[in-house]
Amino acid sequence: MTDTVGKAEVEQTPQDYKPSIQAEEQRTLPSGEKEFFFDVTTSDLEVNMGPQHPATHGVMRVLIRCDGELVTGAQAHLGYLHRCAEKIGENVEWLQYLPYTDRYDYLASMNNNLGYSLAVEALMPDLEIPRRATLLRTICAELNRIASHLVAIGTYGLDIGAFTPFLYAFREREWIQALFEKICGARLTYSYIRIGGVFNDAPPGWLQEVGHFCDVFEEKWKEYHDLLAVNHVFVMRTANVGVIPKDMAIDFGLTGPMLRGSGVDFDLRRDMPYMAYGEAHEAGAYDVPLGEGKKGALGDCWDRFYVRMLEMKECIKLVRWCLEVIEDGPIIGDVPKVLKVPAGEAYVGIENPRGELGHYVHSDGGKVAVRCRVRGPSFTNLAVVEELMPGSLLADSVAIIGSTDIVIGETDR
Amino acid sequence: MEFQAIHDRLKAQGAPGLLGFDEPRPANKKEKDPGRAGMPFVTIDPAHMVEFLRVCRDDEKLKLDILCDLTASDPSADSEDLWILIQLLSIEHKHRLAIKAPLPKSAPTVASATAIYRAAQWHERECGEMYGITFEGNPDPRHILLPDDWEGYPLRKDYEFPREYHGISCE
Amino acid sequence: MSLLQEAAGPVLEHAARPEGDASIFVSLHRWLIPEAFVDQVPTWFVALGGIGIGLGLLIGLISVTVMFCVWLERKVSGHIQCRTGPMYAGGWHGWAQSIADGVKLLTKEDTVPKDADRTMFWIAPAIVLASIFGALAAMPISYDWWFGRMDLGVFAILALSSTTTIGVVMAGWASNSKWSLYGAMREAAQVVAYEIPLGLSLLAPLFALGTFSLGEASALQSGWFGMKWAIFTNPFLVPAFLIYAISALAETKRAPFDLPEAESELVAGFMTEYSGIRWSFFFFEEYAAMLLMSIVGAFFWFGGFESPATGALRAAGVEESSLLFGFVCFGTVMLKGLFGIFLMMWLRWTLPRVRIDQVMTMGYKYLTPLALFCVLGAACWEALVHALFS
Repeated sequence: MTDTVGKAEVEQTPQDYKPSIQAEEQRTLPSGEKEFFFDVTTSDLEVNMGPQHPATHGVMRVLIRCDGELVTGAQAHLGYLHRCAEKIGENVEWLQYLPYTDRYDYLASMNNNLGYSLAVEALMPDLEIPRRATLLRTICAELNRIASHLVAIGTYGLDIGAFTPFLYAFREREWIQALFEKICGARLTYSYIRIGGVFNDAPPGWLQEVGHFCDVFEEKWKEYHDLLAVNHVFVMRTANVGVIPKDMAIDFGLTGPMLRGSGVDFDLRRDMPYMAYGEAHEAGAYDVPLGEGKKGALGDCWDRFYVRMLEMKECIKLVRWCLEVIEDGPIIGDVPKVLKVPAGEAYVGIENPRGELGHYVHSDGGKVAVRCRVRGPSFTNLAVVEELMPGSLLADSVAIIGSTDIVIGETDR
Repeated sequence: MEFQAIHDRLKAQGAPGLLGFDEPRPANKKEKDPGRAGMPFVTIDPAHMVEFLRVCRDDEKLKLDILCDLTASDPSADSEDLWILIQLLSIEHKHRLAIKAPLPKSAPTVASATAIYRAAQWHERECGEMYGITFEGNPDPRHILLPDDWEGYPLRKDYEFPREYHGISCE
Repeated sequence: MSLLQEAAGPVLEHAARPEGDASIFVSLHRWLIPEAFVDQVPTWFVALGGIGIGLGLLIGLISVTVMFCVWLERKVSGHIQCRTGPMYAGGWHGWAQSIADGVKLLTKEDTVPKDADRTMFWIAPAIVLASIFGALAAMPISYDWWFGRMDLGVFAILALSSTTTIGVVMAGWASNSKWSLYGAMREAAQVVAYEIPLGLSLLAPLFALGTFSLGEASALQSGWFGMKWAIFTNPFLVPAFLIYAISALAETKRAPFDLPEAESELVAGFMTEYSGIRWSFFFFEEYAAMLLMSIVGAFFWFGGFESPATGALRAAGVEESSLLFGFVCFGTVMLKGLFGIFLMMWLRWTLPRVRIDQVMTMGYKYLTPLALFCVLGAACWEALVHALFS
């Protein structure tokens, strides 16, 4: 052992060599030999989960303090994917910022486009959105919600250790991406929903294909349900883990499936309707699924997972309703090429797959925003992890991070 | 509840620090008013922000129990104020409230809202590093998105981009 | 003598012939050295040559099987997941994928972390590999062909296969990585917990058959046209086999018990810091251990060499010492082993991973007492049958 350490000291340059045994633990014995003292106490172990770790779904770092397998403390470190989205928003024109919105929650780009467009449209009271555009927006946003939830449940299975549902989920997501490719040419970062409407009409036969997808997907949904949601091992791993009571969910400002998983009946689409969602709800096109604590305590990881499962079904119903009522017509309102947005401030929050995506836009009447704030749901939802992880096992902490369904592009923006 | 009703209720409850409100209005060419688009908000005194938020959260009729967003804005390089912008949401009554608190750039210090809404903690950290606002009482006021040794407050309008960072050229 | 032993009479006699006669070393050198020259060849040459050939055969046989298993795993997982798996390497359904992988792993850089304990880091995969080869050497290939003939074959296999844990713990400790350490500690805890139900569940067929030798165990199941498998003769062997199967999954670190390498939690567990060929040794060990566990299960529950094929050969009057019979025996046991491996793969690609406390609870709280109950039941059943029918 002495030899190894001595050699390492010779080989390493002074800057990057960090001795594994600290200097104060070294002492010279009367015989002239160096003695090493090792820290053999059973103190807590600090483990760095990330930034390169499969469980963090991207480049997030969670510093965990562990006592054996038991997590006694956790601290999230963000910012590895910070791309200055808000600063860019203050430096590019209104329309030019749209592609940047694709990139914060890259699993639900349609919804991001929609959130930003609605926020800017809130500053333009004269702008009228054609009905066909509204319904196309709804179809795309809901399809993207399904795609996003598919990734969420697929990767959650992966976190728990089941590989196969992940690939099944990606099979259906692939189809949704192919549908999006047909309507806008892109598979991940769409920039399809523009200020004033959408930029391209649905190609012939597209709506029928969406209807066909809905039929097939309902069959496939049962597969996920049987393979994952009611799988005994999966339930054992997720039920009663990471329980968020109602009060805590509200206190932490959780939104979306995280909030509904705790049994709080709130969905922006139904309760503060925008676009055609209010009309669709009156027509009975969708319900808002809630966590019921079926397999364990209310608000555990399984509940959050299952809310996402059920939401996919509701999305299908909503898409079907849109397909029924959609008519031919214009697809974009009268928006000039160089857009000057009237002076004012607006905050618009929409229901993203992960929760409330809020855009605060402030215009001084010019071509560029004064302030373009993005309130990403992943950011607030992640904050609860630090609170949930202490007291759980190491494997549970992975389940907890997975159940928050974060996208690092959005937490860091 | 509509915005006007919320404002009246706040006034009736004697919410501390309530300064007034601002609503969108159409342009008026006679008075050379360019008008204002968008959403209404109430203006408060940042010194009483925490007490004001407590009223918003605890009042029966308001019950604004979710803090959606807490951020700041620097309206222009000449402005003497930073704005603290808060978006509240009520689950039970299904209404929103936007709050604006002008904070002088010369003394950007305000009490932390963490005691009222736990959600505020990370938002305040972000706000602090981006605008240089100190939230007194935040349990963990480190940087969140930026590196710990980042200099300057990037979202302020007078921010100058660094030439280099740890020897890496940013030109 | 149990009933089975009485019934198996002549076959058993053949399987239990004295040692030197049946060793693969001896029979091989007999084929290689013409009868006339036997006296002129020095004894040490015979011994060393036999050992060399035996080792070569063993390593070759296991390596080819493991490579096939790796290819099979990819194909099975692919088809379970609506993919095709490898399709290009070698042409037909990517049959050469494992060879290509092996070449890639051989040429990869072999890295050692900066502050790792180099000696231990290097020895660990060797220990893992050596112990699994040692365990597999105790496995007979047919009634007449053995690598190392042992009367207490099961003991040797259990003892040697659990030595892999030492290698794994060494690897985890020497890597100087916290994830590796976690993986190693989980492995140690898990193997200690599951060694008990594994051994106990094996005791049940040992009671039923009355032998520790794998060859004899197979011979004892040779009745009923090769279908007198132990599991059909004693009802308590069914739960015992289930316990054995679960424990074998845990022993071989296969999903749903792959906690030591849980890739979503511990990055890659004890193998995190390994790369290239050293990493592939651990990989190799996993598949070899699967083969071993499946084959031991086949020997003590599912007839070993016995199947309708051997039954038919026997009926046709083919001698048990003939080459044809040997190959049929070998093929039968390999098929059974591969089927076991296929089941393990199927489980892996279907089930999520369990948590460490659940693993421990299941091992200590449920499987161990259940296995004890099975042993008792199997023994009582044998005594009862013996009292009633003999």
